[in-house]
Amino acid sequence: MEKAFARSFASLDAVYEYVEEALAANDIGDAVRFPVHLALEELFTNMVKYNPDVDGDIEVAIDAGDGNVTVTLTEYDVDEFDVTTPRNVDIDAPLHARTPGGLGLHLIQNLVDKLEYEYLDRRSRVIFTKESGNRHV
Amino acid sequence: MFEINYGSDGDIVCTGRLDAAQCEVAQSFMDAVAESRTLNFSALEYISSAGLGILLKTQKRLAQSGAALKIINVNNHIRDVFHYSGFHAIFEIEAKQE
Repeated sequence: MEKAFARSFASLDAVYEYVEEALAANDIGDAVRFPVHLALEELFTNMVKYNPDVDGDIEVAIDAGDGNVTVTLTEYDVDEFDVTTPRNVDIDAPLHARTPGGLGLHLIQNLVDKLEYEYLDRRSRVIFTKESGNRHV
Repeated sequence: MFEINYGSDGDIVCTGRLDAAQCEVAQSFMDAVAESRTLNFSALEYISSAGLGILLKTQKRLAQSGAALKIINVNNHIRDVFHYSGFHAIFEIEAKQE
């Protein structure tokens, strides 16, 4: 399944419904749905925030069969930004030393099982996988 | 859908999904909080880093006057998000009985 969404926070509800439909169709439970939705939102909003001058849609594809949920986000005519680079987030920092922001990619890197990034000819593609254990026989 | 309101006991009750599209509503509400409050998350299904940013910003502002937010009835998934964010060190958090 693949669908293109306008590059806007206002697309988040439609993205959620699209992915939720695929997850429900494959009987994916809450323990997997939550991190999938979180990773997808963080990646989608990053693409919106950090490429404000790009008009093109963001393509979202999902495959929820065969024991894994794999989601692919693709955007075009953008600069390279490798989301797999480890984030140096100090989660033990005291309140006064913390600043809002910067947690999204850190959360993804902890909550999904596999995170990949491809960049070619100004096409940026992020692929993440969460094991679901639901296998079709 | 996301809603944020005061409950009859004075707690702040959050309902639904707090994602990046809902942050303006949540931030506007929290900006008006001026004293220590309890956030009841019993009906909050989901929060992303955008929502965490609002909580952190509010906690930092309240701390300047010696006040703080307490968060109760946190579901297992949000508890995981708090864990990976280190929020247990900077908020008083109580899990939901599930």
